[in-house]
Amino acid sequence: MKSYRWVFILLALLAGTGLGLAYGWYVDPVDFFDLPPDSLRADYKADYVLMTAEAYRLEQDPGLAARRLAVFGSRSPSSIAANGLEYARANEYADSDIALIQELVTAMQAWSGILP
Amino acid sequence: MRRLPWVIVLALFAGIGVGLVYAWMIAPLGNSNTDPSRLRADFKDQYRSAIAAAYAATGNLPRARVRIALLGDPDPLAALNAQAQRMLANGEMPQQIDQVAALARALEGETAATSLPVTEPADSIVVVSTATFPQPPSDGGFDLTETAVAPLTPFLGETQAPAASPTLRLTQTLAPTRGAPFTLVAQDEVCDANLPDGLLQIIVLNSNRRQIPGMEINVTWEGGEEPFFTGLKPELGNGYADFLMAPNISYTVQLAAGSEIASGLVAPTCQAENGEPYFGGFKLTFQQP
Repeated sequence: MKSYRWVFILLALLAGTGLGLAYGWYVDPVDFFDLPPDSLRADYKADYVLMTAEAYRLEQDPGLAARRLAVFGSRSPSSIAANGLEYARANEYADSDIALIQELVTAMQAWSGILP
Repeated sequence: MRRLPWVIVLALFAGIGVGLVYAWMIAPLGNSNTDPSRLRADFKDQYRSAIAAAYAATGNLPRARVRIALLGDPDPLAALNAQAQRMLANGEMPQQIDQVAALARALEGETAATSLPVTEPADSIVVVSTATFPQPPSDGGFDLTETAVAPLTPFLGETQAPAASPTLRLTQTLAPTRGAPFTLVAQDEVCDANLPDGLLQIIVLNSNRRQIPGMEINVTWEGGEEPFFTGLKPELGNGYADFLMAPNISYTVQLAAGSEIASGLVAPTCQAENGEPYFGGFKLTFQQP
């Protein structure tokens, strides 16, 4: 009887942990603020890349475009832009927007890599 | 009657506690896949700058408005104006400051021109636009569609509460008057002994008589010129700027964006209460028609 008791205690502990995890992760998750741009959801990141591409079309300044993309951390601007392009293609953005991002990717790949 | 198994209940609560500590403190979810409203303030500034640069390139105001709404600012216009002032104070590139100020003016013009019905928080925005937008992502991401009247669902994440989203309807007659030249609506001599001698005060207003920050003003005189900007003294007004005139020199003032010219401005001689003379100044008001 005693050994059964320990099994029940262990099961209760596990069930409680599961309940606590479910509540803490899904019912009332932690609200985060003051986050860096790298934490943005993929569609917001892709839209930021699109904004940069739209501005680049007018400004034709790869250094400025790279500086805008640098908010996403230590990855290279070309890889950030390429990720945006990949997302845009996968989610069937308008052809004109995909062309803009493609132009940005090409510019970032050709850019020398020294931030202003 | 059986006894309540207190040890098991205690184990259950202990487990819940362990689970909560792990979920909230050790490995919380939610620090990825966030939305722009949760960005740090300086990153929000960069996000706004990117929106303004994209707007400067495309002129697509509905898209800019949707993007600005993603940042969750209680007053997006005030946020843009404040950012323009911060950028001015930090000596950032004039082109980028102009872009932020231009977006603020465009949104302000649109807000004033439309009777914008602010609704209760909703999960959709309706825009009327002829612009090209990306197709809606298949994973429920935010959506900027390209049809003439398109539902936009900026927040669809499970943990995201929908932001307050005004219903926006634009027509051709409601386009902001970007680039219209400013007129000199008032030019007053100011004799106030409490002000510095020769103070030239300038106020720049838009067509709705709201002060505009970030406007470049050029003052010229024989053998010299100096550009300066509105908004550097927000305590005196977002559209306020001033300049100290030297005595007996004639100055000319014009807005860089295009305006009527105020010329022949020579600091007037005023008289204090005790009879002593001092140099007064001028107060010029420019307004967009």
